Amino acid sequence: MTSSKSRYFVVLAFLGPALLSVFLLRLWPAALALINSFREPGGAYGLGNYTYIFTDPEFLNSLKITAIYSVIVNPLQIAIALALALLMNAGMRTIGFWRTIVLLPVAIPQSVSAVVWGVALRPDGLVNSILNTMGLESQRFLTSPDQSLASIMLIVSWIGVGYWMTFLVAGLQEIPKSLYEAVKIDGANGWQQFRYITLPQLRRPLTFVLVANTVANFLVFAPVQILTQGGPTGSTNLIMNEVYSQAFVLSDPSSAAASTVILVAVALLVVTIQFRLMSAGEDRT
Amino acid sequence: MTEASFTRKFFVVLVAIIFFLPLWWLAASSFRPSDSIFRYLSPIGVYTFWPDEWTLKNVVGIWDSPFRLAIWNSIIVSMITVVVGLALCSMAAFALAVLEFPFRNAVFVVMVISFLIPFDAIAVPLYSIMRMFGLQDSYTGLILPGIGNGLAVFLLRQFFLGIPKEIREAAIVDGMGWFRIYYSIYLPLSVPAMVSAALILYIFQWQAYLWPLLIAPGAEYKVAAVAIAQFSTGYRTDYGLIFAAALFIAVIPMAILTILQRYYSASIAATGSKE
Repeated sequence: MTSSKSRYFVVLAFLGPALLSVFLLRLWPAALALINSFREPGGAYGLGNYTYIFTDPEFLNSLKITAIYSVIVNPLQIAIALALALLMNAGMRTIGFWRTIVLLPVAIPQSVSAVVWGVALRPDGLVNSILNTMGLESQRFLTSPDQSLASIMLIVSWIGVGYWMTFLVAGLQEIPKSLYEAVKIDGANGWQQFRYITLPQLRRPLTFVLVANTVANFLVFAPVQILTQGGPTGSTNLIMNEVYSQAFVLSDPSSAAASTVILVAVALLVVTIQFRLMSAGEDRT
Repeated sequence: MTEASFTRKFFVVLVAIIFFLPLWWLAASSFRPSDSIFRYLSPIGVYTFWPDEWTLKNVVGIWDSPFRLAIWNSIIVSMITVVVGLALCSMAAFALAVLEFPFRNAVFVVMVISFLIPFDAIAVPLYSIMRMFGLQDSYTGLILPGIGNGLAVFLLRQFFLGIPKEIREAAIVDGMGWFRIYYSIYLPLSVPAMVSAALILYIFQWQAYLWPLLIAPGAEYKVAAVAIAQFSTGYRTDYGLIFAAALFIAVIPMAILTILQRYYSASIAATGSKE
């Protein structure tokens, strides 16, 4: 082995660029947001920015909207992704092709999907004409405070569920066939097989998808900023859009910093759980 | 696996078609004259999803529009991101999988967790740092955040850990340096993992919206994902052109994903969804 001095040089040469980019591009901005969040507009340090945002109706509304959105969209997407995975785990020569089609939307930039769906959801757009053809009334979708958030959910779900499905398909394929054969001998029906074999065996990928999906939905921005700018009447003002408008529309960097800290703290918490799930799998291999 | 029933196959195809419908409509609208996009919407008919009159005017129109520059910018930025990102991530993964040094696991955990801080969450403070360095409206500013990717490091490290120790021990006996071992042994053996990592890096950068919106507000460095959003909300919108550009921006990653699907699924499986 070479001397320890030159060995450290080697380690540094390999690891240096990555460490530098972690520091400059992740930790520094996170630290900067933390410091700025305590610096009040007058220049003094304190909790002023936090007390301000937590009394600001706009910010509180965005927390509420984000909570409502998360509570609905995450279980919904996971249920759809699971149903898709079960369906798309079929014995079929061309199944890979059909799965790829369901996965395709995730590869497209969200802004492109937002623009296309924005046209489709116009009052005179494609979705309403499909509804009319089916004998249903036209809906206002993005222009109605009651339907705008649901419309955003529709768009992000079309984008995302195929991606989450892929994780669950990988999980389904890991389940040993012998488990199913064993319970079939005991006379278990389809539902019982799903309930007592599939679900428990899918626990890991399901947990992973739940956590990763939660983070992803937390950060939805492009569809909101492009299609509704948080409106109408704040009904789609998700947290990322609120941070963006604090920083660049209201030019209030102090509030934006405090909101960023809240956002990063919650995201980091979820990410730490996600990381533990990832490395738990690694230990077993 | 046993062959699926006809009913099940029918539903597989039906679901795929439903997911594909918006994309099909996008494609169909790109190849018809701008003024007929809304004409055949209601009632739904053959011509809703099939141009009655085919034209390449919209697609060709991209060439003379600001989209040409924006798409070009996206291609440049993504390509450099993939090349530089692969070098940076694979070298870090090599250090974390192969080289021995104190606190290696701690460094790994800190690095992956920091990279997993969702980038968009810290985009606003990072923007003020980069502006300090004058990186506004530059390729460097657009590229930098994309080159370090926690998922890519994680994936490559996993793969490197699977390469038998004996191979590098033999190389050391032969007098190979660490860089040679990395470059002529580990990289060639890791092509599938490198392709997966390249896909992750590429899709991140091609999709980026918030960051380019902040760091490159000028026309010169506008990327496609931002351009499409801004031109679609303009007054006097040419929907034919918008749709053609949207199709173009969507088709590139869709084609890459379709061709490299196997590697993409591999990256998903390796992310720890497996028992």
